[in-house]
Amino acid sequence: MAYETLQDIENCMDNGWSDGLPVIPPYGSLVDEMLSAMGWQATDVIGEIADQNIIVRAEKAAATAVMAGCKTQYGPLLRSLSKALLDPKFNLGGVEVTTGGAAVLVIVSGPIVEQLGFEHSANALGPNNRANATVGRFAQMMRHFCGSGGGVLTPHGTVGHPGRLSYCIAEHPATEWGPYHTQYGLPATASAVSIMSAEGPNSCNNHYGETGASILDTIGDCMNHYGQTAWYYRSGGFVVVIPPDHMALVKEQFSREQAAQYIYDNARRQTDDLIKAGRIAKDPTSYAEVEEHSLRSPLKSLDQLSFIECGAEGGRFSAVIPRWVGSQQVVCMAIEDV
Amino acid sequence: MAEKTNTLNSRKLPIAQLISCGDISCELLVDPIPRPAPEPITVRLKPKQSRVVLIDHHKPNSMTILKLTQTILRQRGVEVNDQILVKDDASRPMTAAMLNSLSQEGGLVLCGISD
Repeated sequence: MAYETLQDIENCMDNGWSDGLPVIPPYGSLVDEMLSAMGWQATDVIGEIADQNIIVRAEKAAATAVMAGCKTQYGPLLRSLSKALLDPKFNLGGVEVTTGGAAVLVIVSGPIVEQLGFEHSANALGPNNRANATVGRFAQMMRHFCGSGGGVLTPHGTVGHPGRLSYCIAEHPATEWGPYHTQYGLPATASAVSIMSAEGPNSCNNHYGETGASILDTIGDCMNHYGQTAWYYRSGGFVVVIPPDHMALVKEQFSREQAAQYIYDNARRQTDDLIKAGRIAKDPTSYAEVEEHSLRSPLKSLDQLSFIECGAEGGRFSAVIPRWVGSQQVVCMAIEDV
Repeated sequence: MAEKTNTLNSRKLPIAQLISCGDISCELLVDPIPRPAPEPITVRLKPKQSRVVLIDHHKPNSMTILKLTQTILRQRGVEVNDQILVKDDASRPMTAAMLNSLSQEGGLVLCGISD
């Protein structure tokens, strides 16, 4: 590598054009190729963050994709992902600055998983694989670059989590319950990218349960610990990650809808205990729907729970990913050819 | 005891332009960061008038804490508006109308207080 390129990397890092890791410098020739792959002209307006008086043009997304290390082959996926990130429903600025320290969770599903070489098996939530790592990084860099008012706003995450550097999960191309995006109305044949703001994943270990219900009880208990952010607002929801060994038991007893209903019905805690533990506000809002002397679900409704099938065979683990309470919507977009 | 420093306060804004120079020529790098236009409002840290305006930002216990704040400040002789304004959603910025109205306020505006 030429000395000048190393100097350019250092210049980017020293001047705020970085997520904290070294970046590919956004040379015009590379950005032009990425723009073409994303199907945009440099000055095309691809979104707006009205609260911050910011208009986002395509060259910003293309430059970010180059800097994150994305291949141009990812262009159609990055186009849909950029649109999703800038959808006002997602609240990109809120995700960047919240005390909750949330990250953008990216879920890739459908045939594109294999076409672009995403890892969906071993270490599915954090594989050392270029597609997962750079697409996840692109989403976090867009959050950081576009959500901070041009660098004026300060991120206030209390502890945050490692997903703020990269957080991308790819689903198995063949699933037991249908592709992830079918939970948001897209056809099973589609390729899609879904985003939501989320906390870090909690691992759920159950090696000796013999029924699907025992696995779902373990998952439900993981959603139910005192520290879950969900208790007072219940506006975020959860993503449940089910790898093959747990799925082998669960699918014998439950469809996806039945599994969601089972968790919703059974994963509950006594509201009075939550109050005693300090997990319910002294003066709760009406939105929180607090009912003393009753069992409380961390879910406000069934549609706050979604399932993704990924991970390797040979280990009896699942995972629960709590979503951030301030950005309630999942934005799910089909990936079209450019 | 070591002095506590706040790295956030010393954070510099991202630069708007970077140039890459080789032996023969230079080229501009493409700025990845969209900037606000017009520029964001500035906040005056010292109020013009000795008065406090309280805003409940709709997080848990915000109103409870602000009512107590109102009482304590008044006991200490500080003028505090009777009405505690309410911002509907803690996770989103206040509306432009509310921001415009508060930008005319000469007193100290206190928002973002909760547990």
